[in-house]
Amino acid sequence: MKNLEEQIRDASSLDALSRVRIELFGKKGALSKEFAKLKDVPGPEKKAFAEGLNRQKAHLQDVYDTCYETLKKEEIERLLKAQAIDVSLYSNLNEKGALHPVMTTMDKIIDYFVALNFSIEDGPKVEDDFHNFEALNLPKNHPARDMQDTFFFRDKAVLRTHTSPVQIRTMLAQKPPIRMIAPGAVFRKDYDITHTPMFHQVEGLVVGETGEVSFANLKSIMSDFLHYMFGEVEVRFRPSFFPFTEPSAEVDISCIFCKAEGCRVCSHTGWLEVLGCGIVDQNVFDAVNYKDVSGYAFGLGVERFAMLLHKIPDLRMLFEGDTRLLEQFR
Amino acid sequence: MILTRTWLDIFIDLKKVSNEKLYETLNSIGLEVDNIKEYTIPPKVVVGKILSCEKHPDADKLNICQIDIGSGIRQIVCGAKNVVDAEYVAVATVGAKLGEDFEIKHAKLRGVDSEGMVCSASELGLPDIGDGIMILDESIGELIVGRELNEYKKLADTVIEIELTANRGDCLSIHGVARDLSASLKIPLNRFDYESQNPEKIGLARVSKLIVKGKIDASVQYALANMEELYTSLLFSLRLAFIDELQSDALKNTLKYITHTTGVILRAYDVGHIKLEEDEKLTIKLENNRGIVDVIINDKLYSKLGITHVQEIEATEKSSRVLFETSYMNPTILTNLVAENRLETDELFYNTSRGSEPNLCFGINYLTYLLESYTKSKLFEGNISLDEEREDKIVTVCTTEVCQLIGNDIPKINIMTILTDLRFKVQSTADDKFGVTIPNYRHDIENIQDITEEIVRMIGINNIEAKPLEFKESQRINSTMERYYAKKSLRSRAVGAGFDESISYAFSDKLLLAKYNFPLIDEKLDIINPITSDFNTLRTTLLINLIQAVERNINYSKKRVALFEIGTIFDNNRKEREVLSLIYSGQSETEYVGNAGKPKPITFDIFVKKLSAIIGNFELRASTKDNLLINPYQSADIIINNEVSGFITKVHPNVCEDFNLFDTFVAEIDFEALSPKHINAHTISKFQGVYKDLSLVVDKHLPYSHISNTIQLLDLPLLSNFYAVDVYEDKELGEEKSLTIRLFIQSLEDTLNDKDIDYTVNTILEKLHNEYGAKLR
Repeated sequence: MKNLEEQIRDASSLDALSRVRIELFGKKGALSKEFAKLKDVPGPEKKAFAEGLNRQKAHLQDVYDTCYETLKKEEIERLLKAQAIDVSLYSNLNEKGALHPVMTTMDKIIDYFVALNFSIEDGPKVEDDFHNFEALNLPKNHPARDMQDTFFFRDKAVLRTHTSPVQIRTMLAQKPPIRMIAPGAVFRKDYDITHTPMFHQVEGLVVGETGEVSFANLKSIMSDFLHYMFGEVEVRFRPSFFPFTEPSAEVDISCIFCKAEGCRVCSHTGWLEVLGCGIVDQNVFDAVNYKDVSGYAFGLGVERFAMLLHKIPDLRMLFEGDTRLLEQFR
Repeated sequence: MILTRTWLDIFIDLKKVSNEKLYETLNSIGLEVDNIKEYTIPPKVVVGKILSCEKHPDADKLNICQIDIGSGIRQIVCGAKNVVDAEYVAVATVGAKLGEDFEIKHAKLRGVDSEGMVCSASELGLPDIGDGIMILDESIGELIVGRELNEYKKLADTVIEIELTANRGDCLSIHGVARDLSASLKIPLNRFDYESQNPEKIGLARVSKLIVKGKIDASVQYALANMEELYTSLLFSLRLAFIDELQSDALKNTLKYITHTTGVILRAYDVGHIKLEEDEKLTIKLENNRGIVDVIINDKLYSKLGITHVQEIEATEKSSRVLFETSYMNPTILTNLVAENRLETDELFYNTSRGSEPNLCFGINYLTYLLESYTKSKLFEGNISLDEEREDKIVTVCTTEVCQLIGNDIPKINIMTILTDLRFKVQSTADDKFGVTIPNYRHDIENIQDITEEIVRMIGINNIEAKPLEFKESQRINSTMERYYAKKSLRSRAVGAGFDESISYAFSDKLLLAKYNFPLIDEKLDIINPITSDFNTLRTTLLINLIQAVERNINYSKKRVALFEIGTIFDNNRKEREVLSLIYSGQSETEYVGNAGKPKPITFDIFVKKLSAIIGNFELRASTKDNLLINPYQSADIIINNEVSGFITKVHPNVCEDFNLFDTFVAEIDFEALSPKHINAHTISKFQGVYKDLSLVVDKHLPYSHISNTIQLLDLPLLSNFYAVDVYEDKELGEEKSLTIRLFIQSLEDTLNDKDIDYTVNTILEKLHNEYGAKLR
């Protein structure tokens, strides 16, 4: 019997153990042979003999179970080991693309105004003189038209030079009150390190009854918006000139590159010009036949915001599908 | 507009105003400071007086100068030619540092000791004012030998460049800027007044007359001078160099200097050559020529007022007798005249079209002052002039309206004070209203909003209290917003499928579009002033731009480029349409251990799967497009909701060769077809379904879409879904192929029985057999 126990313990694999099991516990196994001897044992000793055998069988079963557990564990361990991989080889597989930083900046701007219940409006890229200039208080021969180098078509249509014509289209299509932004591509005939013939603007317009919408309101929302975009910055307003607003202002933020100490990006002024805004000129309201209203408007260049936010050095790269830039935003 | 601190000093005393305060004020009144340069001259550079100057014995080009520098006399060797003409010069004495590693030391030049250096303007960090050393004169202040040059503030000046908006023609001069500053800083503006001290004995009226023909919408004033010893002083040279206008001609410099200082348009004509008989006068005729004012002098056209003048009769420093003309014309009238008649203009038109200074006397007086103070020129007494009749512009100011526009309460008295400081004349006053007369140089002020802007400027926007707008709620979700969000989610999915978002210009190259057989914008509707030939028309596809972007990326050694763009394209009638375009070129996945660094090239199969991950289900049918990107054997129309909504193709090898592309796939899909559709859920069956595979033998060239269409049309109630799972061709099959279709059969009402299943399968088989001769394999 001692020998049987050793056989179990000697089994070095589940297969071997399984053979031992048949040899021991099988119908023709060693234990069955022992139990067969029972019939030859004289009566009075039978009971003790049977008890002894059963004890032994139970003991052997225990030993077997223990060995089985151990071997099973080893077996699984071996199987798992065989499947081992160096997981670190699978890092950074680059299977996701990147959103364009100009578009994500535009998304961020839109999110702000949508949260303030501005509608999104759109208009055509090919515009007529009325919507792009005339209605915006830019009469023919006005020197301010020089500010915007325009692409012209043979039939006198133009590529819109700003998103402002969407203001006109929206006011002509809807009644006040108005609260809208117009994001989109605009075109100027200018091509150098800091200018591309196409770029993106977000235009905003708020119109209410006379006396309802003031310059103070404009100041409030522009400051809040710039803090949302750029975090802890100082915001400064400077009077400026746009044909379609009066009074007009340009808005600067303290330079985010040098903490307003003065650097190349801010031309050593400590300030970065980021947007233009103002109170809508009465001539614009006249052009769309709005009476007894007040309103403000603002406009900003999305590429400029994107370049400032993400410290992108080269404007033209943004329009070349250059994956050396784009993949950084994956 | 460029100005300097000391130049402003002519009109306004800025002694108590720091540079910082000056910049802040300029910015806050709407004269945006673009650039500031504070010049300093290094220590130990002093005024020197040349006592003698002799040629160097061993060097032709060098001179040995004995120079008094206050603390003693120094011998300095100098190589500049003009040193022989000089008396006072800038001397960098021993120890002066003219640059990071440029310190003046004792030196020996060809054997002669030299203790210092005579400097040119640029060596001192000042702008270049001509060849040779800088010769000092008293235009910069009293010259005291030995005095540090940095103490001459007219030399070590602060130069400020301001960006003027198109409406502020009145600030295109030093005087104009000083005038605006005076109102904001509350420092009085110095009135410039000057009367001729020593005129020619003859009066101007004795030698000339003015004839006016027609109504003249302009003001002019003439002065005549006999010129002598005209030169450009050091101060003028420097200031003109600061504004980048320094020329070699002293008269031209003088004109430029006066216009920049006063804002008055000043031209000068050479009349020395006009031979006049005794008693014959110089005759200046102003003639209204369809609104344009022609200036005709003794029957010869000299100029078109405010627009241009005849170059040949322009006076120069050599002219002996010069007729000076100051003029003013309303800028709006002027710009319309020029645009309507397509007239050529000269460089002064920039000023006249934005509104030049109307106070012509100011210009003439300043000219007189300069000529008499700095030259021996003599002016004829008096002047001849024509004053345009102009009505004063009056605007009614309503205090309440101003306050409403600004959104803050501003007392009436403050508004009146601000306007008075700005030289608006307050007329009458009643309740909260009053009238103001607008100064004639403020062309930009027309109405109450313009007045409000003046108030805002002078108060300073930063001093206006910001107030949030209170508004009545109403939701503003519209189709444009829905479209925007649809686009946004499409973009995220494209990124998820591994594409980078690209933005390209809305332009294209007409030749390229034509070469690849894409539509062209109708000639009559095309751009007339393209920026370059690469962008000479509007794009009618995004794909050419994307292909060019891929080409660039491949040049940067990229082996896999996947880009997408959602953008506007135009049809031949220039109608706008938004499309989603995708391009995939090169390796199908990243190089990594899983592919031993050799990923397979992109295939139709993989590209279609990626597209499906972005836009969902679509059907592909043999392509009907005729652009030349199309590869006839791997291209398809994309069908969404039973409509052709775009196309997909492996790029034709010719195109790959043209642009050096790897294996490349593209797709272009109408954005309209991709906007999310409303979906109603259908009932879900509670019963078990079964899959059945049909392996059919059909004609090799029969597209699957024909089969699927036919099955679809059978409209079998139990056929819940079907799709192709295998295609097999071999020699034995010859002109046929084996196609396996997997059917999923399920009932909404019952557990399926064999009869039902057989009916469905047999109906399909029978139909396909009859239509296409299909048989079971």
